[in-house]
Amino acid sequence: MKDEAITVYKHMKDLPSSRLLGTGTPMCAGCGGLLAVHQAYDILGEKTVFVNAAGCMTLLAVYPYTPFRGSWLYTAMASAPAGAQGVRDALDIQLAKGRIQPEEDLQVVVLTGDGAAYGMGLSSTSSAIEHGLDFIYLCYDNEGYANTGQQSSPATPHGAKTATSTGAQGFGGHKKDLFAIWAAHRPAYVATVIATEPVDLARKIEKAKNLKGPRLIIALSPCPTGWDFDPQETVEIGRLAVKTGMWPLKEYENGRVTHTKVPPQRAPVEEYLERQGRFAHLFKPERNEAVLAEIQAGVDEYWAEVEKIND
Amino acid sequence: MYRIRFHGRGGQGMKTASRILGSAFFLQGYEVQDAPRYGAERRGAPIFAYVRAARQPIQERGIILAPDLVIVADDSLLPMPAAGVLQGVTPRTTLLIHSSEAPETWRQRLNIAGSLLTLSAQAEPHFAGTALTGAAARLVGVIMRSALEQAVRQELAGLGEETLSANLAQALAAYDGMAAHAGQVSEGEASAAVACPRPDWVDLPLDEADAAAAAIHAGATSVEVRTGLWRTLRPVIDYARCKRCWWVCSEFCPDSAIKVSAENYPEIDYEHCKGCLICVAQCPSHAITPIPESSEVKP
Ligand SMILES: Cc1ncc(C[n+]2csc(CCOP(=O)(O)OP(=O)(O)O)c2C)c(N)n1
Ligand code: SF4
Ligand code: SF4
Ligand code: SF4
Ligand SMILES: [Mg+2]
Repeated sequence: MKDEAITVYKHMKDLPSSRLLGTGTPMCAGCGGLLAVHQAYDILGEKTVFVNAAGCMTLLAVYPYTPFRGSWLYTAMASAPAGAQGVRDALDIQLAKGRIQPEEDLQVVVLTGDGAAYGMGLSSTSSAIEHGLDFIYLCYDNEGYANTGQQSSPATPHGAKTATSTGAQGFGGHKKDLFAIWAAHRPAYVATVIATEPVDLARKIEKAKNLKGPRLIIALSPCPTGWDFDPQETVEIGRLAVKTGMWPLKEYENGRVTHTKVPPQRAPVEEYLERQGRFAHLFKPERNEAVLAEIQAGVDEYWAEVEKIND
Repeated sequence: MYRIRFHGRGGQGMKTASRILGSAFFLQGYEVQDAPRYGAERRGAPIFAYVRAARQPIQERGIILAPDLVIVADDSLLPMPAAGVLQGVTPRTTLLIHSSEAPETWRQRLNIAGSLLTLSAQAEPHFAGTALTGAAARLVGVIMRSALEQAVRQELAGLGEETLSANLAQALAAYDGMAAHAGQVSEGEASAAVACPRPDWVDLPLDEADAAAAAIHAGATSVEVRTGLWRTLRPVIDYARCKRCWWVCSEFCPDSAIKVSAENYPEIDYEHCKGCLICVAQCPSHAITPIPESSEVKP
C-alpha cells in the first residue's frame, strides 16, 4: 500500500517546538485556517515567499504588520498562480545572473482560500501546472467566501447554510472534487491535509518541499465564524471530519492516489454535522432525513470505491 | 439629535443591535443613521456601532464624539483605554452597562458623575445586544413598544421563528424593566460644522519612492499588535498537573501564543492569546483552566 517515506516527523513530539508565524494576526480566535498556516510554515521554513489571493488570510499582512519572516505578495483573487510565476521567474533570473546564491533561493508558495482555489483561480492554476511552474499551492478550505461573510463557494458542502443559501435545504450544490481536478493535470504532488492531524500534515509539507514542479495541497480548515461553532471546538470538529470520512486524507504522486489515514470505523456523518450551526437546520425543528441520508450515502460511496481499488 | 454609541466585541451582535434601534427610531418617524465600525479584526476584538436619530435631516457624519447614551455590552471593555468606551462622556451622558455588578460599583470604579445604569448580565450572552436595545428604546422615551417589536421582527426575520421570539422577549422585557427611567436620555444640541474638531495632520517628509513604498523591512512585526485584548476568558496552566506534552497545546494554538521553554514547559503569551480556549479543550491532563478576565486582572 503505502511506501514508507523517510520522514523526520513520526510522532507529535517530532514536530517543531518553536513557531515561525508571528503572533498578533487579525484572524478570528480559533481560526482553523491560521492553524494550518502556522503548521505548514513551521515545516516550510523561513525561506518562503507567499503569494496570497484575496481572502481572510490577506489580512495577515496589513501594513505595517506581517506575521511572516519574509516576503509576501498580494494578488487579485483569480491570479495568485500567475503572481507566483512572476516571482519564480524573477528568482530564476537573479540566480542565473549570480545576483543571489542558490542557498538564498526561496520556495514560492501560493496561499489562497477555497473561493480562489476551487473557483476564480482554477484557470490560472491549470495554466501554472501545465507550464510546470515550480511552486507549492496551499489552499485553506473553509468551504465558503469567509472574508466577505461566508457566501457559498464551489467548496461548500451539500446542505450547509451559508449567507447565500439560507433555505430549509441549505446549499443545493455539491463540493467540487478539486483534488481530482488537480491530480488530472498530473502535477508532481497533490495532497489533502487538516491541521488536526499535524503529523500527517507535516509529512506531506515535508514531501512537497523536497519535490520540484507544481505541488498542491488542500487543508480543510474549520472556521468557527463561518461554520458557526464555538472557537474552542476547532480541533475536535476537524478530527470528526476525518473520523466520519467526510475529509479523506490522501496524496497523489506518480499517477497514484494513496490514502494516508483510513478511518478504521467511520463515525456517522451526523456526529460531525450536528456540532456546527451551519447544519442546524438539518436537525431542528425536525430532522431532515433525506438530506442527512444523502450526505451519509455520498461518504459511504466514496469509501466503498476506495476499498474496491485497494483490494 | 440623539447620538447613541454601542460598544461590544466582534460577534456580540452590536451591528444588529444598532440596526434594530435605528429601525425603531425610523418607524417612529425619525431620520436615522446607523453604522457599525470595525477594522480588520474579527470575533472577539473591540468594536463599536452608532445610531443618530433626529427629526431633521442629519448632516453630521463619522463617529460620535459627544454621545447622549453609551451602551456597553461587555463590561471587560470598560477598563481598556484602547476600546474608547468613555470617549466624550460628560455628566449629561447616560451609561448603560451589561454587567452582573451593581451600578454603584461601576460609578466608583469609573469615577462617573452622570447617570449610570446596569442591565444584569444575561445567562445567554448572545441575547445581550437585543436586551440592551430594548432598554435603550425606553431610555430615549420616544419609541413605542410596538415600534420596538416591529423593528426586532424586521431585523431578525432571517434567523427563524425560534431565535426571533427569544430575542423579542429579551428586548421587550428590558424595555418594560426600564420604565422608571423612561425618557431620561435627551437629545444633544445640534452641532455646526465649524465645531467639529479638525483631523490630526501628520506631516510626512517626501521620501524617495523606494523608501516611501508600503514595504515592511522586518519579519513578524505583527507581534506589535496586542490581540490579548480580545480575550474574555484567560487560559491558565496549572504546572503541577502539566505533563510537558507541548506538542499538544502549543501545536494546536492557532495564534502561536504558546511558547515552549527550555525545560519543555508551555508558556502562554497573554499579550497575544485571543482566548479561543482550544488549548483548554485539547490538554489531555486538564491542566489548563479558563478564568474570566476580570477588570482587576491586567494582562
Ligand atoms: C474578483 C474578485 N471578486 C470578489 C472579491 C471580493 N472578495 C474578497 S475576499 C473574497 C472571498 C474569498 O473566498 P476564499 O478564497 O474562500 O477565501 P476566504 O475568504 O474564505 O478566506 C471575496 C469574494 C475580490 N477580491 N475579487
Ligand atoms: S472567518 Fe473563518 S477563516 Fe476567516 S479568519 Fe475567521 S475563522 Fe478564520
Ligand atoms: S497540553 Fe496540557 S499537559 Fe500538555 S504541555 Fe500543554 S498544558 Fe501541559
Ligand atoms: S486560548 Fe490557548 S489556544 Fe487559544 S490563543 Fe490562547 S493560548 Fe492559544
Ligand atoms: Mg474560503
